[in-house]
Amino acid sequence: MVTMAEGGIDLFLPKSYDIFWSAVILIVVAIFFYKFFLPKFQSIFDERTAKIEGGMAKAEKAQAEADAAKKKYEDQLNNARIDAAKIRDDARSEATHIIADARTKAEADAAQITATAQKSLESQQQQALVSLKGEVGALATALAGKILGNKLSDADVQSTMIDSMLDELDKQGAGKAAK
Amino acid sequence: MAGVAELMGAAGMTLAAAEGPEIPQIDEFLPPEILFAGTPFAMNRIILVRVIMTVVMLLILGISASRAKLIPGRWQGFVEWGIEYVRDKIVYEVMGELRGKRYVPMICTIFFTIFFFNLCGIIPGMNIAATATIMMPLIFAAWTFVQYWIAACREQGLISYLKQECTPPGVPFPVLILLVPMQLIDILIIRPASLTLRLLANMIAGHLIVALCFSATQFFLILTENKLMMGAGVVTFAFGFIMTLFEAFVAYLQAFIFATLSTVYINMSYPEED
Repeated sequence: MVTMAEGGIDLFLPKSYDIFWSAVILIVVAIFFYKFFLPKFQSIFDERTAKIEGGMAKAEKAQAEADAAKKKYEDQLNNARIDAAKIRDDARSEATHIIADARTKAEADAAQITATAQKSLESQQQQALVSLKGEVGALATALAGKILGNKLSDADVQSTMIDSMLDELDKQGAGKAAK
Repeated sequence: MAGVAELMGAAGMTLAAAEGPEIPQIDEFLPPEILFAGTPFAMNRIILVRVIMTVVMLLILGISASRAKLIPGRWQGFVEWGIEYVRDKIVYEVMGELRGKRYVPMICTIFFTIFFFNLCGIIPGMNIAATATIMMPLIFAAWTFVQYWIAACREQGLISYLKQECTPPGVPFPVLILLVPMQLIDILIIRPASLTLRLLANMIAGHLIVALCFSATQFFLILTENKLMMGAGVVTFAFGFIMTLFEAFVAYLQAFIFATLSTVYINMSYPEED
């Protein structure tokens, strides 16, 4: 065992094998860190940064696309609304038109029907008048003949005569109605 | 130093003779060669720990990197957090992204390797930091040293760098007689030496304290017959437990300090912005 005095100084005097192994180890670890460990992690860091930046750019692009699509759909929707309003207006005006036409036609038809009815009534009235005139004449003639034929002796005869004339009238009226 | 070591050695011998607790010795950091003894690539315990830890670290980080995916899992997220911590909180924080980009691999190598090696000090079975011999901190310091001189020559030329470091503007001539040698010693010796010794001393001291606590615990709780000593054992165990956790923190802290100072020294080689 060396004395402690020598040992104390020896601590600071490098042994040749200590130099050798320290140098070997330094070179090994330095090569490891320089050539493998740090480049590897640096590439991972770079790749990660690129990926994050790429992801952000992609998200921005997607956002822009979504905005554009939204705008497109909104435009389309607006156009559709305008079209619908236009179609509705057209339909409404057309309907008004149709109703107006129909009304005009109906009024015309009504007027025509009224006119026809009037005409028919007038002609029937005329006919009735003509026929009445003729029958009244015949009746008057017949009545006068009967009055003259039955001598008009008493009140009974008169009454009978009037009754029979009225029956005649009724008969004739009924026959006319049936005709 | 030698006196203290002698005293400790003497005390250790005495206590060992008195069947006291085994006091951790300085020569635990100068263990016998166990493989290829006598050759330039002989291995002692610490170097074996260092090689094993290197393999373990390369496996852990290598598998993490080869399985790395775009969408990180929990473990990958943790590893990425470590890389981004070194990149953003150490390198870019000190020298900015523009200058810092080329130094990220170097500072990552230094930070992760020192951190893993420091952790060996509290891993059961290893129980000694792989950075606890002079050469491992020294070679990292030498790397930093080379890098800041290269950066100086590349960015502003050697003369301009020496002028910037040794003769700050506004210093009167007589002071320069004192200042120039001091600054030269600083950039040539103090910077790499302080990097080396800070890390080495932290690892040695950490191991000594933790080992002392647990060897005392072993002695008080198991080896000694005196039951009154049990209380002392509980105390030393609790202290050892706390120190172990503290060593885990120191493992990170020293890796952070080494990486940060390396970055700062390289950054000082760049011309000062006016």
